[in-house]
Amino acid sequence: MEGPDEIIHQSTRLRIAATLNALPSGESLEFGRLKSILSATDGNTATHLAALEKAGYIAVEKDFVGKKPRTRVSLTRLGRKAFERHVSYLRDLLEGGG
Amino acid sequence: MTVTREEAAQALADIDKASDRVYRLKGYHHGAPFFIVWGFVWLIANSVSQFWPDYQRWIWPASVGAGFLISIVIGIAQSRKAQPGTRQSVMDQRVGARMGMTSGVMMAFIATIILIAQPSSADEGNAMVSIFFPFMYMAAGIWAGWRLFAIGLVTAIAIIIGYFWMRDYFDIWMGVFGGGSLIAGGIWLRTA
Repeated sequence: MEGPDEIIHQSTRLRIAATLNALPSGESLEFGRLKSILSATDGNTATHLAALEKAGYIAVEKDFVGKKPRTRVSLTRLGRKAFERHVSYLRDLLEGGG
Repeated sequence: MTVTREEAAQALADIDKASDRVYRLKGYHHGAPFFIVWGFVWLIANSVSQFWPDYQRWIWPASVGAGFLISIVIGIAQSRKAQPGTRQSVMDQRVGARMGMTSGVMMAFIATIILIAQPSSADEGNAMVSIFFPFMYMAAGIWAGWRLFAIGLVTAIAIIIGYFWMRDYFDIWMGVFGGGSLIAGGIWLRTA
């Protein structure tokens, strides 16, 4: 059995990955909406997004809608695979008693 | 790094919760434009019935027909958002087809009820048809999310108050409070 993914396992990052994984492949979520889904602060969300981005698990796109800045986040293919691997590790652990 | 069975169970529960939240929000966002469209249908048809009763005969079929056409266009546009050939696209098409069939069953049910009950006045017919939808929203809301339930509850209360206590202004009451609650509800779902 493969070990846990140390980056994803942290509670907020796990919820970020789970949220983004529930979106269709390639679809992104706005920072504000993600923050509200997580019920987290700006700073906390940004810190964990930075860790996931550094690992290559998420892609962060920044642009402007009119004069308003917009940040959108999506799970990369690598991130989706890492998340799926981590979920199956957790399931194996529960089912196998590991 | 070691993960205990309790931590694993908690993590899986968190994942399920996060996924459920996303699916619920997606449902809200899909539903929002339909609420807004039907809110306007209700508002326009009832307002015309109140202020220009001579046009009541044609405003209802015209606005309901327009509501259906716009709903179909929105439904098609939403189902095309997903990339063709993907699992999401297949799921969207299935959901779209089932939504269409469900609407058909609902309309047939309403037509049958009207046929059996034979409402004795336009107000009675209006209330009978209108009250069906908020209760459907409430029933669906039990499964799909509390916001849907809340929209149904507010709309149902508005219809009941209008029918029993505001009969002189029933049409405009239905337009403003029934249609208005759907429009406000749609905007509320959009911001979820």
